[in-house]
Amino acid sequence: MNVLQTEALTINFGGLKAVDAVDFTIKDEVIGLLGPNGSGKTTFLNLVSGIYKPTSGKIVFEQADITGAGPNVVRKKGIARTFQTNRLCLNLSIIDNLLLGLYSQQKATWWQSLLQPKRCNKELIRGIEKCLEILHHFNPSLVARAYEPITAIPLIDRRRIEIARSIVGSPRLLLLDEPTAGLNAEETSQIIGDIGKIRNGNEKISMIIIEHDMVVISSICHRVVVLNAGKKIADDCFSEVCKNEQVCKAYLGG
Amino acid sequence: MHKTSLFSQNVAISILVSFTGCALLYIALIGPIIAALAVLILALTLMVVAERTGKVEHLYRALACHQGKSLTVIIVFVLILPLILSNNYLLHVAVMGGIYSIVALGLNFQVGTGMVNFATAAFFGTGAYTSALLAINFGLSPWLTTVFGMVAAASLGIIFGFPALKTRGYYLSLITMSLQIIFTLMIINTSWLGGPNGIPNIPAYSLGATSLRMPIIIFGMDFPYQANYLYLVYSLLGLAMFVALRLHNSRTGLAWNAIEQDEIVAITQGINLTKSKLLAFALGAAFAGLAGGLYGHYTSFIGVEDFDFSKSLVFICMVLLGGMDNPLGVVLGALMLTIIDEKLRDFADYRMLMYSVILIIILLARPQGLLPKRIRIYQAAKSIVNLKI
Repeated sequence: MNVLQTEALTINFGGLKAVDAVDFTIKDEVIGLLGPNGSGKTTFLNLVSGIYKPTSGKIVFEQADITGAGPNVVRKKGIARTFQTNRLCLNLSIIDNLLLGLYSQQKATWWQSLLQPKRCNKELIRGIEKCLEILHHFNPSLVARAYEPITAIPLIDRRRIEIARSIVGSPRLLLLDEPTAGLNAEETSQIIGDIGKIRNGNEKISMIIIEHDMVVISSICHRVVVLNAGKKIADDCFSEVCKNEQVCKAYLGG
Repeated sequence: MHKTSLFSQNVAISILVSFTGCALLYIALIGPIIAALAVLILALTLMVVAERTGKVEHLYRALACHQGKSLTVIIVFVLILPLILSNNYLLHVAVMGGIYSIVALGLNFQVGTGMVNFATAAFFGTGAYTSALLAINFGLSPWLTTVFGMVAAASLGIIFGFPALKTRGYYLSLITMSLQIIFTLMIINTSWLGGPNGIPNIPAYSLGATSLRMPIIIFGMDFPYQANYLYLVYSLLGLAMFVALRLHNSRTGLAWNAIEQDEIVAITQGINLTKSKLLAFALGAAFAGLAGGLYGHYTSFIGVEDFDFSKSLVFICMVLLGGMDNPLGVVLGALMLTIIDEKLRDFADYRMLMYSVILIIILLARPQGLLPKRIRIYQAAKSIVNLKI
């Protein structure tokens, strides 16, 4: 049972095919998405998460066609993502940033906040408890600091908050865009551990991870897909892909 | 032992802070222009001192724990205001301050979503004109026409919101400026809307047979008619504050703040940008429309000069001075600017200059305004042990 599949997914930016007829499937597993810079990895994630509309091709998520759906619809269906540039709301508190991750799963409307405060408070309290529980998994010391602004914590913790935000709403598929960029070796292994905890947890979350760090890829990915100039050139387990001639050529040149 | 002394300390703080706030506003109201400016500078200084010494969090916490007591002080102050003011003109200024505070709270929804809206006076005017024309031409009760005014203003808010959806930052502000100017020109050039002469003889509100434009006698004391409107306007302001605070702390308010910070983050968390932004426009416009209805039925005359671009600028100033995205702040900003503006009537030439000067000084010295935006604290979640405030 495929969680996600794309069929000949293509996007054309005025003549440049940033993603070129990519067929991709993912089940309950972690897939690494590799390729040299400019090969279309982030563009692929942008297509799947709805930020870009494909020029042609299909995206099917849990048997439903979501081609062309906007990012907010895609999120509600169960695909969450993080960003290469660590996008958090800087002048909101830690707990507020986490609560944003629950927005798509909550229901309180503006008039319910005014006329049915009890129901909204119940939803809020359940949400805060879930956020604190997830926060505790990532970094227990932050739980006591939940009302502090994001600007008060270091980069590695901000990365964790962004990942926590993406899973607190129980997505079915998680797209991670270079989660260890800018981190040192120690912090990278902490993030690997955090991602492992997600996989070992109660909820089934499939993941697509864009990474350049092969240590991360080899330790947590079941499979690896390699893109080059928008085309898929390899789709296999990591050890096989390492031996693939086309892949070596793409990374190291002819 | 220690707990009860902390409790009574917080009670004392909350009562003292609300009393001081009311006293400072009173001084600004009854004194000359110098007094009002001095109060403003004093208030800013006190805030800066409280922040630098780290006491400001303690003050906010005390106020949050004892909202009832601060509210009582404020309610008493409003109730006795007609008795402690020497003339009806000052009472009129207080009423206008309340009306403008409602507008400012509405504008705050849009500013808190990252949309600096220069068409607020058009929403204010839509409420005023709709309510006045329906009451005069169809003889409907002013209470009912005010509600229609709110609906009309909210509708205009949605209409103005649509072009704003596709734009951001400066471009959005520019579009709202154009829409405001179109509104003003439309009023001037349409005779059944009053044209350049405005609309006179707008009926007052009445409770049964008594019109609110008559003086009343309570406990044997004479109250001028402005007192009726004072109580009406400030009751509605209280309601508006309640709505603004509840929305701020809700899922809706969080979405607005997310949009203001980073639209890509907002949309990838499932927020429908269109619905959220249009809601901010509609609700903000509804507040302004309510204030417009109150204004028309209070002053009995409305003219296009009351709803033009310079008025929109004034509302923006109120929100900037008071503190963007802080409901209490924008109300204080509105009250202070209304008072200062009235005091400057004697210096007619300098009024617009004064707004420009205040704007420049605030943006340079304290861009976050009198009461800066606060981190959301969820009072409803106090019982969660791990969540320390």
